[in-house]
Amino acid sequence: MSKVEELAQIKKDLKEMLVRDLSLEDVRPEEIKDDEVLFGEGLGLDSLDAVEIVVLLQRNFGLEVKNMDQGKEIFRSIDTLANFVLENKKPS
Amino acid sequence: MNSRPVLITGLGALSAAGATVADTAATFRSGRPGGGPVTLFDSPLAYPAFEVKDLPRTFLREGLRTVSLALAAVDEALQEAALVKELPKFRVGVCLGTTVASQLNDLDFYRSYRSTGSAPLEPVERYLKGNLSDAVARAVNARGPSLTIVNACSSGADAIGVALTWLRNGLCDIAIAGGADELSRIPYCGFASLGIMSAELCAPFDRDRKGLNLGEGAGVVILETAECAAKRGASSDLFLAGYGSCADAYHLTAPHPEGLGLERSLAKAFAQAGIGPGDVGFVNAHGTATLENDAAEGKVLAKVFGPGIAVLSTKGFTGHTLGAAGGLEAVFTALGLREGRVPASAGFRNQDPLIPLAPVQKETPVSARFAVSTSLAFGGNNAALVIGREVKA
Amino acid sequence: MKIIGIGTLFSGGRGIDAFQQALAKGWQAPSPLACRDRTLPAYQVDLDGMADRTVLKKLRRADKLSKIAVVAASDAVADSGLGAAEQQKMGVIVATAFGAHATTFAFLDGILEYGDAAVSPTIFSNSVHNAAASYISSALAIQGPTLTVTQFFFSFQAALQLADAWLREGRVEDVLVGAVDQVGEVMGYIAASRLAIARDGRIKPFVFSPAEAVPGEGAAFFVMSSRDRGSAYCTVDGLRFHDDLSGPVRSDLDILDADGLSIDESSYISSLVPGVPAAAYAPLYGSMMIGSAFSCAAGALMLKEQRCFASPVPDNPRGLAIVREPADSSIEFIRCIRYNCSTDRAVIELKKA
Repeated sequence: MSKVEELAQIKKDLKEMLVRDLSLEDVRPEEIKDDEVLFGEGLGLDSLDAVEIVVLLQRNFGLEVKNMDQGKEIFRSIDTLANFVLENKKPS
Repeated sequence: MNSRPVLITGLGALSAAGATVADTAATFRSGRPGGGPVTLFDSPLAYPAFEVKDLPRTFLREGLRTVSLALAAVDEALQEAALVKELPKFRVGVCLGTTVASQLNDLDFYRSYRSTGSAPLEPVERYLKGNLSDAVARAVNARGPSLTIVNACSSGADAIGVALTWLRNGLCDIAIAGGADELSRIPYCGFASLGIMSAELCAPFDRDRKGLNLGEGAGVVILETAECAAKRGASSDLFLAGYGSCADAYHLTAPHPEGLGLERSLAKAFAQAGIGPGDVGFVNAHGTATLENDAAEGKVLAKVFGPGIAVLSTKGFTGHTLGAAGGLEAVFTALGLREGRVPASAGFRNQDPLIPLAPVQKETPVSARFAVSTSLAFGGNNAALVIGREVKA
Repeated sequence: MKIIGIGTLFSGGRGIDAFQQALAKGWQAPSPLACRDRTLPAYQVDLDGMADRTVLKKLRRADKLSKIAVVAASDAVADSGLGAAEQQKMGVIVATAFGAHATTFAFLDGILEYGDAAVSPTIFSNSVHNAAASYISSALAIQGPTLTVTQFFFSFQAALQLADAWLREGRVEDVLVGAVDQVGEVMGYIAASRLAIARDGRIKPFVFSPAEAVPGEGAAFFVMSSRDRGSAYCTVDGLRFHDDLSGPVRSDLDILDADGLSIDESSYISSLVPGVPAAAYAPLYGSMMIGSAFSCAAGALMLKEQRCFASPVPDNPRGLAIVREPADSSIEFIRCIRYNCSTDRAVIELKKA
């Protein structure tokens, strides 16, 4: 799989993961834009979702987010999350 | 509101800071926190905790650590009130707060059920006998109202507030009130997952605070109507003047950033006590050392009392004892009034520019007639207790 | 204090009208609850099939227990007709015998499957006993004192007693007080191991011994008020605990909370008064330690409507005076009587408004 395809797949997986595991109401995965702000005004996620995403990344991708200051940048949008996953995930 | 005076005739406290109120006072003077590695259970997580090391054997109840902790503190408080033998003569209510003891969360039981579809029921039977207030009421033969408050981190303070309501409504003459909680792996994992536990000893209100440490213990007050105390020849200069409680109606885990519910709770507690913030000598704050709690709470305390108010968090000595915290801190508040001084707020080094006040950094004398203990709970509930001391002319 | 609003949610539906219809219709079969390789009969709430999901939209990550509680609480407030300003000031007391045990077990699943360092903070937060009350206060914008209490069999009665005391001391003018509990696989296993389960799905409250249970779940919430309102269901006239026998017994109908949660429920017989008929409605909603909240709702409806509902399962080997047929009748007082496993008793005394 090319890097581009891999990134697209990660984005799809992340969107499905957020909708399913954060129990988002009335949102379908494909409706989330890649650059949409996830927290606050955008998708409306909050502090509890943030710590839940930490666990989801750990469980689904084996990734550790060490501190929430780092998390704030990573969790900005699907784009930033997907890049973090692509760069840090262990080679399968 | 009805202003029937309610005296505090006994105090009992058991935590990592000491097995009795006197031990605790000595620890406070020494300034030495009692936190360290967890020994009560195995966990790969390495957050320090504040364990009770010397729970007297007399009070041990197999598999019911929270009840055991509560019984020790209740006994101390009843001793001070000279009520140990006298209790059955009165209408005695029991209102205690907890978090862990209310949950059926025995990991061995559940592991067995998960893997085999069956499990020995002893943990369930113990749980069904372990309703905290009922277990204590049975142990001391109290026959008045009995209620366990499960309001997360404000449970102990709320329980004392409920007991005040009972006494003022004539539902009992004496109430055993406060809170107890044991250190358990379940909330230990849970608080870690919320990202609010510190790998270092906690530093309430400090600029560089990293989160809370869990603790365990029990804090109990004996409350009684002045008529009842007079009738049995008991007296006390300490009294419970007011209780206020308000919900933030904001978020499941985060406090309202401006501490809306806490500010209203303080106003309610003042109204019941018939005092204003200027009458208050010090505040025993909730001060868990999480970023959010201390910021919201510090803002409210500075706004209500002014930035010069003497504030301390005792979590640096006890850790966050969850359901016990409000009970323990009510005892510490009463102790501060009685001793006329409060200890330095353990763990604090540098003021946070985002918090408009700093806690007391050395042992500080207090001479005021009133002090306040605040509690902010998970779930957005807030509680404030006003405790008073009658100054003899 | 007066009951000015009621909201109920149980296997038979949502809202006080659904509860009244269930009382009129009589016994309905429970549904199967899967417990590993076997099933148990249980009265289970179907949240997915609920028509109006407006209030649930505010609680995307809440668990089933919290959702049940919020729906019933929200319906009680709507039923009371209180305005937004009154609603904001009211107190909240949520009673539960067991709390969100299914969520607690889901959290333990996380520890066992993923280890201590990778558990879900959302599941943990939902497992805390006061999560339901927190969702209630934020969904309904209630900023008064908010408590969650637990006292096993007497959780609801103790909550009512506190609500009454809050109103008397003027802490609040209205209190939203209610009870909620749930069933689940592990609790089903515990119930099947400790109790006799009625395999035919019929709780027979007047058999008393050996008593059989059918686990149930749901919530019943009430708006209690110290205000004088024309439209109250009834007055809560008194609460008696344990050996409190003061004053005369005034009752035109006794509702017994016998539901098989103790194997021997013969104590109920000693509470009966000659000439006062008895009824028991647990066969409609199932065996629950907080079932008294549903009896209280039934009593309130009967006092308001001045109509008795029949006992849904009238098996009556002792030939006691029980309500067999629904009938219009002039009722002034109703007692809701609950015994726990230690034969302690709590009685809720209701009076026509």
